[in-house]
Amino acid sequence: MLITGLLAGVETGLNRVLSLDGTALPRLQALSGKVIAVRCQSPAVELFLLPSGDGLQLAAQWHAEADCTLNAPASSLARLALSRDKTAVLHRPEVSLDGDSAVLLQLAGILQDLELDWEYELSRWLGPVASTLLAGHLRVRVGLAAGAASSLRQDLADYLSEESRTLVGQREADARFAELDQLKLALDRLEARIERLSQRPKPDA
Amino acid sequence: MSDPRKAHEQEPTTHFGFQDVPESQKAEKVAEVFHSVAAKYDLMNDVLSGGLHRLWKRFTIELSGVRPGNRVLDIAGGTGDLTRKFSSIVGPTGEVVLADINDSMLKVGRDRLLDKGVAGNVQFVQADAEKLPFPDNHFDVVTIAFGLRNVTHKEDALRSMLRVLKPGGRLLVLEFSKPGNPLLAKVYDTYSFSFMPLAGKLITNDSESYRYLAESIRMHPDQETLKAMMVDAGFERVTYHNMTGGIVALHRGIKP
Repeated sequence: MLITGLLAGVETGLNRVLSLDGTALPRLQALSGKVIAVRCQSPAVELFLLPSGDGLQLAAQWHAEADCTLNAPASSLARLALSRDKTAVLHRPEVSLDGDSAVLLQLAGILQDLELDWEYELSRWLGPVASTLLAGHLRVRVGLAAGAASSLRQDLADYLSEESRTLVGQREADARFAELDQLKLALDRLEARIERLSQRPKPDA
Repeated sequence: MSDPRKAHEQEPTTHFGFQDVPESQKAEKVAEVFHSVAAKYDLMNDVLSGGLHRLWKRFTIELSGVRPGNRVLDIAGGTGDLTRKFSSIVGPTGEVVLADINDSMLKVGRDRLLDKGVAGNVQFVQADAEKLPFPDNHFDVVTIAFGLRNVTHKEDALRSMLRVLKPGGRLLVLEFSKPGNPLLAKVYDTYSFSFMPLAGKLITNDSESYRYLAESIRMHPDQETLKAMMVDAGFERVTYHNMTGGIVALHRGIKP
């Protein structure tokens, strides 16, 4: 009952988020009636996802056959939930899919393409004027913060590689790695040549 | 000539809450209760259960195993909580019938569902659970949520549900039951006989209907008795799940 309550809360929040994207719910409608089972191996937890035009229904148990079953450890499931490129996670060796994988790939595609119109939601609570002012303010602040973070990252990289010489610079490292690759190829060729010479039959005396 | 008073005295009685009433009068008295509470039924459910009724119904849907294209009968469907969810699951190729003996509840349920855009695969039928007006072997799933305790002849109702189910079809009975923990039972009794009639008085100006609710819960068969009744009616693989310490139980049986 506790899990049912928890899932009900998560479902409400998730569907609220999905409703912020104008295209997500109509795309989920196309998957209506499908059942996706998610089986986490460690810890052993099972979750059922039922997409419909109203959003996603989450269930701890579902007494009907699932169209697609995803088996994966918790780390891969967390990566799947957070990663931008969900299809790459689905192709990892520790992840297995049974049944109609197109259903899951379609759902992953919908979640990957989410573009949340948070300004619209904000305007419902604060009104159009206040939400525009607040959104503009937030956008400037976020832009400044992103710029400052990027600049700090660049300055730190320059200091460590150019001034303190603690780390090797990216280009220098790339050049060294390329030289190492060339050396490895040359060694392989030399080894093959020696092998061939050692196997050559000796001419009759 | 026969004496009508004698005929009345000879009529078998049944319980209406803690009272004994002639069997012919129970349906009428239950109808009066639901006519009285229909308008604020959802609000009262939320207040009295603290929203838990939504989780109980959610668990019922999870266990129903309903699939697209299925035909579902929601008996005593009231304001249509289960019907709404089933309608979404069965899709345009399926069908959900919301049946209720009480026309006030049926009207509230119908209006509520239409207001939420639930239409197309839902039918509304005023029907008595003891004499369901549907063909044999017709439904994949039959549910009755918080309705069985108000039925006069529960055995007849269970047999009627068995008849309309397809072989392999599932009956789900969600109903108040008996808490397993004596301490919880004591707290629950105090809550039921003190708070529930008071809340009924404050919100719907009708404390008697909510006193009946508390009494009818106490008179309803406990988990094991209801399970035995379902087995007697002809259901197989009957199991039950206690929820919230046994305050509510979900019974599930399969038609052989």
